[in-house]
This record gives sequence, C-alpha cells and structure tokens, in this order.
Amino acid sequence: MAILDLEGIEKRFGGLKVIDGVTLEVDDGEILAVVGPNGAGKSTILKLIVGLEQPTRGSIRFQGRDITHLPTHRVRHLGIAMVEQTPRPFPTMTVLENVAVGALFGSPDTRTGEEAALAAGEEMLAFVGLADRRDDHIDNLNLHEQRFLELARALAGRPRLLLLDEVMAGLNESELRSSIDLVRTIRDELGITVIWIEHVMGAVVELAERVVVLDFGRIIADGTPHTVMRDPHVIEAYLGAAEGIVDA
Amino acid sequence: MTASILDGIVLGLQFGLLATGLTLMYGLGGILNLAYGQMAVVSAIVTVSIMEAGLPVVPAAAIGIAVGALLGFVLDQTVFRPLYSLRGEARVLLSLLLSLGVALMIDGFLNWLFPLKGLSLFIGGGAIDVFGEPMRRGSLLASGITIVAMGGLVAFFRFTTLGRAVRSVIEDEEGARLVGIDPRKMLRLILLLSGGIAGLVALTRSMVAPVDVTAGFGITVFALIVTVVGGLGSITGALAAGIILGVINAIAASAIGTFMSLVILLVAAAVTILVRPAGLLGVKE
Ligand SMILES: Nc1ncnc2c1ncn2[C@@H]1O[C@H](COP(=O)(O)OP(=O)(O)OP(=O)(O)O)[C@@H](O)[C@H]1O
Ligand SMILES: [Mg+2]
Repeated sequence: MAILDLEGIEKRFGGLKVIDGVTLEVDDGEILAVVGPNGAGKSTILKLIVGLEQPTRGSIRFQGRDITHLPTHRVRHLGIAMVEQTPRPFPTMTVLENVAVGALFGSPDTRTGEEAALAAGEEMLAFVGLADRRDDHIDNLNLHEQRFLELARALAGRPRLLLLDEVMAGLNESELRSSIDLVRTIRDELGITVIWIEHVMGAVVELAERVVVLDFGRIIADGTPHTVMRDPHVIEAYLGAAEGIVDA
Repeated sequence: MTASILDGIVLGLQFGLLATGLTLMYGLGGILNLAYGQMAVVSAIVTVSIMEAGLPVVPAAAIGIAVGALLGFVLDQTVFRPLYSLRGEARVLLSLLLSLGVALMIDGFLNWLFPLKGLSLFIGGGAIDVFGEPMRRGSLLASGITIVAMGGLVAFFRFTTLGRAVRSVIEDEEGARLVGIDPRKMLRLILLLSGGIAGLVALTRSMVAPVDVTAGFGITVFALIVTVVGGLGSITGALAAGIILGVINAIAASAIGTFMSLVILLVAAAVTILVRPAGLLGVKE
C-alpha cells in the first residue's frame, strides 16, 4: 500500500523548472533512496513534501489524504518528519531540551505534558545512543552526533514517514556504518518508512530496497539498486555530471 | 549620586521588563509595535476606572492587566492580520504603520473619553533606608513586583518546553516549523503575554509616578530605545539594557536635567549600535 503519493509535481523558481513532472508512489515500510547529480532537484522534492516549498503543479497525498498545501507544522503533525543536510539543532538548548521540543510539538496530541515530553525525549536519545549526552550543550557534539540528535528530535514525535537529506555526507567509515545500522533499525523496529537522499553509493546499495534516480527534475530510473546502477540513462546522467557513480 | 542610581535602577527594572515584550514581538514575528505604550496606558486607565467604581486595588489591577493581555490578543486577530501574509522587511514596515495607527486611535479615544484621568497607586507609610538613602515604599514594592515578574519570565523561557518553543522560533523559524511548531500560535501567545507585561509595568510605574492618558508615546519611545540597545529578540539583553539605561537616565536627569535625559539615552543607544550593531545581546543574523 502506498503511504505517499506524488502526482505530476512541478516546481518552478521564477523561470527555472526545477521539478518537472514527478510522479512517485512510496510503499508503506520501504527504504527508498533518491540519488542524482548536484542540482537535480532532490532536496526540493523533500521540501515540497513537508510544505517548506509549494509546488506550482501537481498534488501530494499522505496516507490517502491531500497534504499539497498544508503548512509545515501540520504536515509534521500528520506524521512526516525531515532531517536536513546541514544539522540545525536549536543552539541555546541542551541535547535533551532539543529532543523534548520535538516530542511536545511533533505530534498532533497537544496534551503531551512537560514531563511526558522529557520522558519521550530521553527514550529517543537512548534509541539513537546519545543518552549519556543529554545535558550536553550542542556545541560539544560533532557532526555525526548532531545528525543523530536531529534524528532523535525527528523521531520524538512518532512520525510514520522520515525524510533524510544526505545525512551521511562527511562521515568517516565507522560513523557511516552506525548510521546505516540506525536507519535500518528505524524502519525495522519503529516501522517507519524512509525516503533518503544519498550521495554515498556504497550505502545506497547496502541499505536501499528501491532507488529512484533524479536528473534535471525528472525521474530517469526507478528500481532495485543493482538494476538502476546498470541503467544506461543513469550512467549517462552521472558521466554528464562528471561524477563517478561507483565512488564507494 | 546613590539616590539617582537607585532611582535609575527602579526605572530601569521596569523598562527592562517592558522591553522584553517589544523585543519578543519583534524577534518572533517581525512586529515593531508602536502601540505598546498605549497598551500600558489602557491597562492603567481601566484599573483606575474600576477603582473609582469601588473595587479594591488588587482585583482592579488584575483586571487591568488582563485587559492589556486581551488587547494584545485582539490586535493579533484583527489589525495585525494583514502582516502575516508578508515576510521580512515588508512585514516590519507595515507593522510600524499599522501599530502607529492603533496608537493614535487609542490616544484619541482616551483623550476624548478620559481627558484628565491618570493612575497613581500611592503606597503609604514612610521611607525605608536602602544603602543609606531613603527609598519610598512605592518604589520598593514596584521593584519587588518587577523582579518577581522578570524571574517568572526568564524561568518560563528557560525551563518550560513551551518557552523553549518560543525561543526556537526566534532562533530558527524554519527549523521550528519542521519540529511541528506553529509560529503563528507562538506569536499569538507572545502578543497576549506582552499585553499583560505592558499592563503590569503601567501599574508598577504608577507606584512611582502617575501614569496618565498622554503617557503612551513616551513609554513606547523609552521601551524602544531599551529594546534596540539590548538587541532585538534578546530577553536577557532587554533586561540588562533596561537597568543600564535606567541608571544613565537618572544620572543624566539629576546632573543636567530631565529635559536632556532622553537625548542622552539616544546618544547611549547610538553608541551601542555603532560598537555592537546587533545590540548588547542581539540575535546574530
Ligand atoms: N529557493 C530557490 N530559488 C531558486 N532556485 C532554487 C531554489 N532552491 C533550489 N533552487 C535550484 O533548484 C535546483 C535544484 O536544487 P536542489 O537543492 O533540489 O538540488 P539537489 O538535487 O538537492 O542538489 P544537491 O545534490 O547539490 O544537494 C538547483 O539548480 C538550485 O539552484
Ligand atoms: Mg540537496
């Protein structure tokens, strides 16, 4: 069953057509990787889904419900959370306080009290392995830890769909390993569907069940990692962008 | 000298508290509310009217503060509505125009309906010595109430998740929306809160000096200077700037004269901005 349905999505910035007719169904419980050259429109698609940008054409349905023009906080309440490429925890709050804000506001249930929010926050910190950093200031966290903090904050509202924008960029080998494991656990144990933009091809091949390739705002391939990587259109798109496809 | 400094601290505490409302409205919603002083005056006039009708001072003051908060809420729902479809500079500029209109209207009505009215909450009893200087009981009580209110405000923003949510919108609005916070709701809360703060400050002010129907713009100007010096969007900055400027104001008033004290404050504000463009503790762009 489809949890997310994009239908004929188009997005223009002024005269520039950045997304050019994207239709995509995402199944409940799958891990879908979105790949493509720089500027292909990957981040824009995620922003359109969560309502940070408005499509100029087309519609978006989540669990059968039209969310095309909903404001971002409403989309979040319905169950879609996003982690952006550059971590942006709230700078004046501790690790736990950051996650507690997500727990209190991330779900539609506004009766979640102060204590319940902190408890949910602790639970999610334990889940991502940051429990012992709860009282740390975020300046003391490295990039990898900040990404995990953002994951905990995103998960704290109990979303059904998680959107990840290049959350593995800039990580070392072991950090990459633990990130791949964590995303898999998020799907397996919490049952959350994951749409995941990635440049690290090794990770894509290992973790994704399905890969969508975007180029100039269009989907040029859609399938299992191995079939997609062998697709001549994909190879051409990547060569055209002067970027090796097998770089990991 | 000690006497001026103490007077300055009393005044500065009050304007520090007052400026937090202004700074929050700006930091959160890009609203520069020029009707802020009038909101305070409305609270004062409501309070004095209720007292004249025979109610004791405490319930009258409570109603006065509640009316201030309600006024903030009503502004959010009516006059300020067109603002929310605008972003950035356009919103700030339109908020100046709209709130100026509101201020003039409130001033007009108050002058017409209650031409000579003013609130003075006189606290009886003799003076009390503080650092060897006699201080009026009214000043001390006003300062006490103000400090308690400041403490409550700081605790709200520091220790409650709702308060942190308000801060998160000031720090990163897009990030806040992504975690499920509705910035409009937070702004509504802040307009309500700042209306209440304006009311409270009008009442404590009236324990030191009368607050009459014409006081609105004077209050706004002083609060605006404090806000700019403290750094737009910074609560602790507003509190610190309030106390510093209050002392400067009192010293200038006693050394040169009240007629020049506002000019001296403006100079102090201008110097601060030249040295630190974001204000003492302003949110960095
Ligand atoms: N707000 C905007 N205004 C104008 N153009 C934009 C805006 N946002 C994105 N674009 C353009 O849209 C195109 C797609 O951008 P997008 O960020 O979605 O690419 P991407 O696939 O995520 O690339 P990358 O791999 O570099 O992150 C780019 O050409 C970009 O310059
Ligand atoms: Mg991108």
